[in-house]
Amino acid sequence: MFRHLRLIWLFARLGIQNNAAYRFDFFMRLVVSFVQMAGELVGLWIIFSNTRSLAGWNAYQVLVLLGVFRFMTGVIGLVIAPNMRLIMEDVRNGTLDFVLTKPVNSQFYASFRQIVIWRLIDLALGVGLATFGGLHLAAQMSVGRVLLFLLMLGLGATVIYSFWLILATAAFWFTRIDNMEMVFWNVFEAGRYPVDIYRPWVRWALTYLVPLAFLITFPAGALAGKTGAGALLAAMLVAPVTLLGASLFWRYGLRHYSGASA
Amino acid sequence: MRLMPSAIAACTRFSLAAMLQYRGEIILWAVWGVIYPAVAMAMWGAALHGAPQEGGIKGFGQRDFAAYFLLTMVVGHLCTAWDIYEMGYLVRSGLLSPKLLRPILPLWTSAADNAAYKILTLAILMPIWLGVAWFVRPVFTTGWAHLLLGVPALLLAATLSFLWGYVVSLVAFWTTRTDAVAESWFGASLMLGGRMAPLALLPLPLQWAAAALPFKWIIWFPCELLMGRLSVAQAWAGLAWQAAWTVLGLVVFRLFWSAALKRYSAVGA
Repeated sequence: MFRHLRLIWLFARLGIQNNAAYRFDFFMRLVVSFVQMAGELVGLWIIFSNTRSLAGWNAYQVLVLLGVFRFMTGVIGLVIAPNMRLIMEDVRNGTLDFVLTKPVNSQFYASFRQIVIWRLIDLALGVGLATFGGLHLAAQMSVGRVLLFLLMLGLGATVIYSFWLILATAAFWFTRIDNMEMVFWNVFEAGRYPVDIYRPWVRWALTYLVPLAFLITFPAGALAGKTGAGALLAAMLVAPVTLLGASLFWRYGLRHYSGASA
Repeated sequence: MRLMPSAIAACTRFSLAAMLQYRGEIILWAVWGVIYPAVAMAMWGAALHGAPQEGGIKGFGQRDFAAYFLLTMVVGHLCTAWDIYEMGYLVRSGLLSPKLLRPILPLWTSAADNAAYKILTLAILMPIWLGVAWFVRPVFTTGWAHLLLGVPALLLAATLSFLWGYVVSLVAFWTTRTDAVAESWFGASLMLGGRMAPLALLPLPLQWAAAALPFKWIIWFPCELLMGRLSVAQAWAGLAWQAAWTVLGLVVFRLFWSAALKRYSAVGA
């Protein structure tokens, strides 16, 4: 465990070194993130100058949700997406051999070897937004709620990691699935708002097919006082099960890997 | 000059063939254009329930929103332009150089790519649009006059979107990076162009900002026109605005293109 944490720290340091070479690029990313956030806030302004609530969520509750949306965008961009992209590339090129021969758990190494450090901007902005929204809900805030929020965030991140690992593992059979990523980001767009705004079957799909509800709506709802015991139970069940499933699927996929062109 | 039309036609055929090779990816790009309006439609549908007055927001009920956002799907697609994202890369990598060697402005080859993309994706989008229309049951009050005036409005909107996108992309010659500019441009077209909400729903300061910029003539105007919410006089006024912005765009392009080329040093080539 300790060894794994040290390795992650090492990968993060490597990420910083890689990024430090492109300082203007970092500045540009900062500007882009701020522009995106400004756009989201303007959107919020437009919505709530016309209505009092969005499927029962008030302005500050949606603000918390926007924060979680940005935070999760950051989490996916920081470690999940870049590593899964690498896995797909490695499988195609046959260079996954270099991962498998490392003296460490292959799933761990394949999942954390690249860390795109500038994505921490989105994490910071997301935390800022959620905190700001949360402070305005202070009247009903409690330590329990914040803890539930953090727990749900962790469970959400676990679910989305497992989801991506399953997608990446599918590369063992289909080789070329980089388009899957685009499909994902297309659907991800729907997570900008609470899933409660959609029709029941869309809501179902966004919960169990592409788990945006676990990722964004449930954690945000935990802080905003919208997530009940049902969602907590579901997340407690779904997160470990998908993680275990993804892990088993990864091992099963590895047995199918023949180092095609290596 | 006589050769121009045939040169552009040849460019379009070439891009069509190239894009047909990557049809899978192209289709995924096009589908994004369906998702955003669909999400906006669902969001405003939900917002209706929390609205202060019963019976709609600024004259928009459930099925009016359905009609409006269905049209933003169509108009948004016809007005797609991506040069602002691409130009920085072309300048940085020096890939612009071979385009400059041709006896035709790169603007025209970009326009040909743009047209080819829209023609190709129409085949997949048309059934999607019809499916959405069947599903959300929009209401239109469109008359013949609206349809007739809608055709030039759409053409001008597509021209406007491409032309201004291209003009702004020339910033790349000075900065070599256009990410931030592109993101602001895109965000403004969402908020102030009417993709996120019909303009009547915007708070006043945003409406003023929208009035001073070309975005509303690209998305909002053709949509409200084709919905049948504008009078004939308003439609003509809108067409005049579109024409004025187009002329202004051409002038700005002429002014800046040669200056931009002088700055060009094919950074990475």
